[in-house]
Amino acid sequence: MRSPVNWALLGLIIERPSYGYELAHRFERAYGGMLRLSSSSHVYTALDTLEGHGLIEEILGTGGGRQPKPHYRATAKGVRGYREWLIAQVRQERGRSRLFVRQLAVFAQEPDAALEVIEHYSQVCLAEAGNTPLAARPAVDASTGLIDRLTSEASRTEVEAKLTWIDYARREFRSLAKSRVFGR
Amino acid sequence: MTLLELDGVCKSYVRGERPRIVLSGVSLQIEPGELVAIWGARRSGRSTLLRVAAGVEAPDSGVVRFEGRDLSDREGGALGGGIGYCRRSFHPGEGRVVLDQIVAGLLACGVSRADAAALAQRALQRVGAGRCAALDPGELDGAETIRVAIARALALQPRLLVIDEPTNGVDLLERDSVLLLLRSLADEGIAVLKSTDVATGLSGADRALTLSEGELHGAVSPELGSVVPLRRPAARRASA
Repeated sequence: MRSPVNWALLGLIIERPSYGYELAHRFERAYGGMLRLSSSSHVYTALDTLEGHGLIEEILGTGGGRQPKPHYRATAKGVRGYREWLIAQVRQERGRSRLFVRQLAVFAQEPDAALEVIEHYSQVCLAEAGNTPLAARPAVDASTGLIDRLTSEASRTEVEAKLTWIDYARREFRSLAKSRVFGR
Repeated sequence: MTLLELDGVCKSYVRGERPRIVLSGVSLQIEPGELVAIWGARRSGRSTLLRVAAGVEAPDSGVVRFEGRDLSDREGGALGGGIGYCRRSFHPGEGRVVLDQIVAGLLACGVSRADAAALAQRALQRVGAGRCAALDPGELDGAETIRVAIARALALQPRLLVIDEPTNGVDLLERDSVLLLLRSLADEGIAVLKSTDVATGLSGADRALTLSEGELHGAVSPELGSVVPLRRPAARRASA
């Protein structure tokens, strides 16, 4: 199963058993701007797929009546599959990062071009860091806003690593640029 | 009018025979109510940049202007004259408890004792450290220390607050509330210039820049910020 929407829906069901209509709303709240449902029936197609793979199951007694509202919960296979998919995502992210570095390194003979790319990359990272929402922890119920705080911190930690790398790469290419000037 | 302007600022330190260039031709403009954050690795020069911007240290060359006036021309320096530089250290001679420490700064600026106590108390309340007034500064935790440091600067009613690494020493789970405090001060019209070596410290900034090998990278003026916008500067937000 490759669709990130299907995996995201499975994640929402792991978080809390749910039914189609409610899932569509929760999906929009959780992933709006990052992932998109192609149509109103997308959720139901995805639920069929997830059930077909044995990753979710209908909760008995919720699918009957005049207006059936079948609730789904994750199976043990679903929780295990989701965890493994998440781990694979981390590896892919790392792969993309290495690819970018490899592609930037072709500018060893054109350090000014590399520095221009680095500056833009730096600006994007700074913008991301600046726009990361701040959220004070509530004094009473620490679970309120937990997802937002964890998301913000994940984003900031990632940006920090990138800024540290940018600082290093900038120095490397500046050093190359200087050596080219003096070598002429 | 631009509130703070650094124009071609250079600064180096000499230790033994080898000078170390800390700031190299740094230019930066800050508008009233803007929150500007500088990220830099250790020894990148960010603390020096903030001290020079606050008028605590003079640049070797270049100019620092506050409200259009060269800081080097100001009598008595910049501190207490519109720029609040947040110090975390507490000198025992300035008072036994937190409130006394803040009052001492106000008395030095000619404020009467009665007014100073009221202003100090109000500043502590504003930063959420009212309960710290009667404590020995040595009893404060990281978040309280930084809040009191902000209160001490705030009591002097600055138009620019300069703060080095506001989240340093603050518990991980308390950092956002300190940063939200700085954001709220900027929203009230007090410009904030802060430095950080962690990306968390950049959150909430109108503009974020990096300092590397003494050179500033990023949007050094609000106009350039539109290339990759962070937040709309406070002045523009207010007029929108």
